[in-house]
Amino acid sequence: MKNIRIKFTAWIMIAAFGVMLAVVGGSCAESEKIRAKTGAQLWAENCQRCHNTPSPSSFSRDQWITIGMHMQTRAQLTDEERDKIVAFLRQ
Amino acid sequence: MRKTGRITRSLAAIFCCFLVSLARAQQTPPPVDSSLLLRIEALEQHAAEYKPGESHLMVVGLTTFGFTATTTKTTPPGGLSQKQKTNTFGDGDTYELSPMLLWRHGTKWLVEFEPSFTGGNLSVNWANIHYFAAPGLDIHAGYFVLPFGIYSKRLAAGWIDKVAPDPTGIDQPGSDFGIGISGGFPLGTMKWSYDISLTNGLQLQPDGELQGIGLVDNNPNKTVTGRLALLPISNSCLELGVSGLYGGVGDAGGPYVNANATMYGFDLNFVKTFQPVLVNIKSQWSRMLVNSQQFIKPTDSSNYTFDNRSTQTFAQISLRPVGASSPVLKNFELAFRYVNYQTPMSSFWGQNYHEEDLGLDYWLSWRTVLKCTYAWTHSANTSDLTSGQNGVITDMNKLYLQFSIQL
Repeated sequence: MKNIRIKFTAWIMIAAFGVMLAVVGGSCAESEKIRAKTGAQLWAENCQRCHNTPSPSSFSRDQWITIGMHMQTRAQLTDEERDKIVAFLRQ
Repeated sequence: MRKTGRITRSLAAIFCCFLVSLARAQQTPPPVDSSLLLRIEALEQHAAEYKPGESHLMVVGLTTFGFTATTTKTTPPGGLSQKQKTNTFGDGDTYELSPMLLWRHGTKWLVEFEPSFTGGNLSVNWANIHYFAAPGLDIHAGYFVLPFGIYSKRLAAGWIDKVAPDPTGIDQPGSDFGIGISGGFPLGTMKWSYDISLTNGLQLQPDGELQGIGLVDNNPNKTVTGRLALLPISNSCLELGVSGLYGGVGDAGGPYVNANATMYGFDLNFVKTFQPVLVNIKSQWSRMLVNSQQFIKPTDSSNYTFDNRSTQTFAQISLRPVGASSPVLKNFELAFRYVNYQTPMSSFWGQNYHEEDLGLDYWLSWRTVLKCTYAWTHSANTSDLTSGQNGVITDMNKLYLQFSIQL
């Protein structure tokens, strides 16, 4: 009985997850306010979600591209956020 | 009248001389330093030869070391307490050297490999390849940290963590071999992200504990793990996450062929500056369940069963006066963390564990920190009565001095 309950809970969780993905993913849009954000703004807002904001001088221009990709895998940044932050850090 | 004419003629002569000298000056270039010309030529040649290329390999990573002094008081039920004092440099929470190789090919492919020397053992934290297939779609494969909760994947590094030790029990479900997809998308003024993986999964031990199976799977079932997060505020200061895991955990053809594990959890991340203080709150709660099975007692190999359910919780707050006028004061950070870890009652590893950590950090740079953490832990043993440990209380006081740097 308990086995069935756990399985049922798991399937409910997976189904809820799928529905959320479909609903949320289907309505993805970016507001003007978000689109207008600069790389410096996004750098200040997103990096400190996990760690202190890095200094642009810490890595070279090529290195920042690589680090931007690595950070995207960790923090699930959007592509636009990654590109703007990396452009700011490469200056 | 004659005098005026003479002056005019003289001025005209001077003007002519000036024009002639100017014309000569324009025709004859000034002498140039020949070594400067050679340097300019070399620089032009160097610039012409530079070609960035598509591949880029770099090494980053981190190192953490420190010192831990521990006082342990053990009290058996109805008995006298025993005290023990130890101190060490080589504690798992205070020593780590992990160089990380990041190898990029263009802007679509990325390989991440991080070997780690931790607590005297050489291991690998992750070794995987990512393909950025489309906006919001990162396909990855290899050995990676499972997308469950917020701590293991993002906050565990010594130069990120605000207190010296890791929260006990939060390392489940750990890392595994498999494939996954992840990405982030805007949603009006909000943002959401997903991270899902399909991996070999966990293995159920005869005493009821779970452990990572590693490279060779113990059954044909695969384990699904995922995390969905919403950042409801436009400046990304708040992140709310929900995680889940489900998979078969018994050996194929073994007594636990129908055993499966379910995990679910919630996490919260809030970071915002209320001038002059940066407030940083992080929290995670998770539960792990294994369906009902007959387990084997390690003492006499007889069968027994229990409600195989574990719960992990941590909540932490840290405050940093980033707006302080003093350059020294603004580098200090005060942190507090509460941890609770409950393993199944009446199992052979049952305990109810509490921990409070109070830390004072000093940031030498954005990625270099000195930490001083004092930890109080209290653990009540809730294991099976036949284990001989039921009711034992263990209290520990720990002082950590830790240095951590990201390189």
